[in-house]
Amino acid sequence: MSELLQRFPGAQRALFRSYHIGGCSSCGFRPDETLAQVCERNAGLPVEEVTETILASHEAEQKMQISPEDLSRRLQESNPPVIVDVRAREEWDAVHIEGSEFLTQELMQEMMTTWPKDREIVFLCHHGVRSLDATSYFAGHGFSNVKSLSGGIDAWSVQVDPSLPRYHVE
Amino acid sequence: MSEPEEFSQKIEEALRNPRNLGEMEGADAVGTVGSVDCGDMLRMWVKFREEGGKRVIDRATFQTFGCETAIAVASVATELIAGKTPEEALKMDSRELSAPLGPLPPVKIHCAQLVEGALRSALAPDSGPAKNEPLAPTLLESFQGGDAKPKQIRLEPQK
Repeated sequence: MSELLQRFPGAQRALFRSYHIGGCSSCGFRPDETLAQVCERNAGLPVEEVTETILASHEAEQKMQISPEDLSRRLQESNPPVIVDVRAREEWDAVHIEGSEFLTQELMQEMMTTWPKDREIVFLCHHGVRSLDATSYFAGHGFSNVKSLSGGIDAWSVQVDPSLPRYHVE
Repeated sequence: MSEPEEFSQKIEEALRNPRNLGEMEGADAVGTVGSVDCGDMLRMWVKFREEGGKRVIDRATFQTFGCETAIAVASVATELIAGKTPEEALKMDSRELSAPLGPLPPVKIHCAQLVEGALRSALAPDSGPAKNEPLAPTLLESFQGGDAKPKQIRLEPQK
């Protein structure tokens, strides 16, 4: 699986969105397992179909992203999406988008148990990778209207709001 | 009716009137799988009775933070195992436990496995997942900060 993930960085997200595999420790896989073994112990999923899903994941991920400009436009409209920030606390303390929510354990539980599954949510992180993982995770849990901010808050600073300073994590 | 439609109708039926939902006082065995963090926790309580010199499952109840399918499967599974011996119940896999709902779509199979896992954890706690080998990083770890190291943030000077 580790080789697969190296060649197809979106594979894990695709596996979780479609088959609920690799999301947390109860549905995770070991780095040395083969895709066939993982399929086998997940009620004998057809390997060909799973492979197709992984191959199509790049396109699927394009559709799961929203550009900074589009998000900025959506925020001006009448029912704007809620922005959930999945970065570390230190990053949030340094800069964040006004009105966004910081993802804590408590918020996570609240989202899973009480938020409507069709609520429009945009996840963001520093550069748009962790947020893609979060988006896939929520999509795999049945959330149908989740997106990831492409390029993260860094792209937001450059393209939408230059008053938010860019930063490095050291 | 197509298979997916039939499936969602059966799920709806099971959800409208879930059986055996809730904590059980004085249970003989309790089993838990998953974690609340993952949004996927399922706990099952089991009470036994003697019948014809054998110990059989009197009733089982469940509680879950899982999805609707997990509730539906747990509801039908707790009905199915009542009256069976623990050995008989342990022989049932996730497919048999969810049989009254018909074949599950691939994305929902995990929900049935959650129910099977909770049942195993209650009836045969020692047989639990034997392999405790390290897992590849999970999605949850990726965005919940697997490393708890404090981070130094350096802001770029504003232009």
